[in-house]
Amino acid sequence: MNKVTIDPITRLEGHGKIEIFLNDEGGVENAYLQIPELRGFERFCEGRPVEEMPRITERICGV
Amino acid sequence: MTKLKLALYWASSCGGCEIAVLDTNEKILDVVAIADIVLWPVAVDFKYHHIEAMPDSAIDVCLFNGAIRSSEHEKVAKLLRAKSKVMAAFGSCACFGGIPSLGNLTNRAEIFHTVYEEAPSNENPSRTVPKTATTVDGHHLELPETYDTVMTLEQVVPVEYFIPGCPPTVDLILKVVSALANNSLPPPGTVIASDKSLCEECYRKKEDKKITRVWRPHQIVPDPEKCLLEQGVICCGPATRGGCGALCIKANMPCEGCFGPPAGVLDQGAKLVSAIASIYQASGEEDVSRMLDEIVDPVGRFYRFGLAHSLLRRKRMTPPGTLSAAKQPLAEVTAR
Amino acid sequence: MPLLKKMLAQLGVEDERVRLDWVSASEGDRFASIVNEMTAQIKALGPFHRNNGG
Repeated sequence: MNKVTIDPITRLEGHGKIEIFLNDEGGVENAYLQIPELRGFERFCEGRPVEEMPRITERICGV
Repeated sequence: MTKLKLALYWASSCGGCEIAVLDTNEKILDVVAIADIVLWPVAVDFKYHHIEAMPDSAIDVCLFNGAIRSSEHEKVAKLLRAKSKVMAAFGSCACFGGIPSLGNLTNRAEIFHTVYEEAPSNENPSRTVPKTATTVDGHHLELPETYDTVMTLEQVVPVEYFIPGCPPTVDLILKVVSALANNSLPPPGTVIASDKSLCEECYRKKEDKKITRVWRPHQIVPDPEKCLLEQGVICCGPATRGGCGALCIKANMPCEGCFGPPAGVLDQGAKLVSAIASIYQASGEEDVSRMLDEIVDPVGRFYRFGLAHSLLRRKRMTPPGTLSAAKQPLAEVTAR
Repeated sequence: MPLLKKMLAQLGVEDERVRLDWVSASEGDRFASIVNEMTAQIKALGPFHRNNGG
């Protein structure tokens, strides 16, 4: 079975990988978008004082 | 003149360093004049396989931003190291761990649990969490492994230069570009900023360093002329490298420490504990207890950008794969 | 010291692993007893185990 991998996806913010599985005729059987990153902001913000939130959450995305 | 081959890559990053490079505005043309960009996922379409196909040391300079928090980050860091003559840790995340290194106060199991199982905006009845390999409809899929601990770039590959900042200032970036263009890079191992602490660069009036209370930023409006520390606002200036132009200070906000420790300081957080404690006038148990109440979340404040770079690097973990024995209640660190 | 201990507690370092004492050069016996006490305390806590691997 043929597979086309696009890694990394480009010209956007963030990391991603696309894998396209082809059937015997060469058509697309299935395609998967995978996100290979997680930083865990939801978790490490817990326990920080409220005034840190603007400083920390603005580093989720710099664009 | 043959153009330099330049690669820019992001690991556990927010994209801010990329934008900082773009913030050079028309000066980006100076970069393009001297270099061919061979990898820059945010802006150009080169893939990993293009880099893998290059001979070793084909890339002249790689500006690597973002911390290392997954097996993919580590793999690409090692790939780029092999293919690059010069590797620069660009931005606070690559230099010290940055904000993502606050993840070193927790671990993968806890993060997955919060993000995929507990988060109120989630619908995940099967409680699926990311795995490194799985099969869907007969197709084999793989994902990188998320590490328990965030690392700096230097902790996985040798690095020649460090360009700190969250993000590095445009001035600093232009300094690097001009050094590249003129082939006048400083000796390897240099942190491209100032060697001294921010205090030496700061324009504010400094008098007597003695305080009897610490204020949280929302509790007072600081006087814009006087030293912030002297007003009881925790400013990381004494243990933070200068070279940023004191931008935050100019906005009447305390230094957050994003340029990391100055030359000669091994551990930024420890230095800050020492600096703050030494100016706080406490003459008994009551004063000390009050100080502890006023200084909320010392780890978050003093190691805000540099936990991965600190001597301890992370909070001690409970046995791997389990949730912490007592999930730290919010009340414990916010006091009052 | 209390500030350092507060921060170390956040990092999972037990209170008993850090101690500050003042001993003068003439207090040899006291020095020995403090060191012995601290050694016993640390041994009871066991190895530190930083867990800083990737």
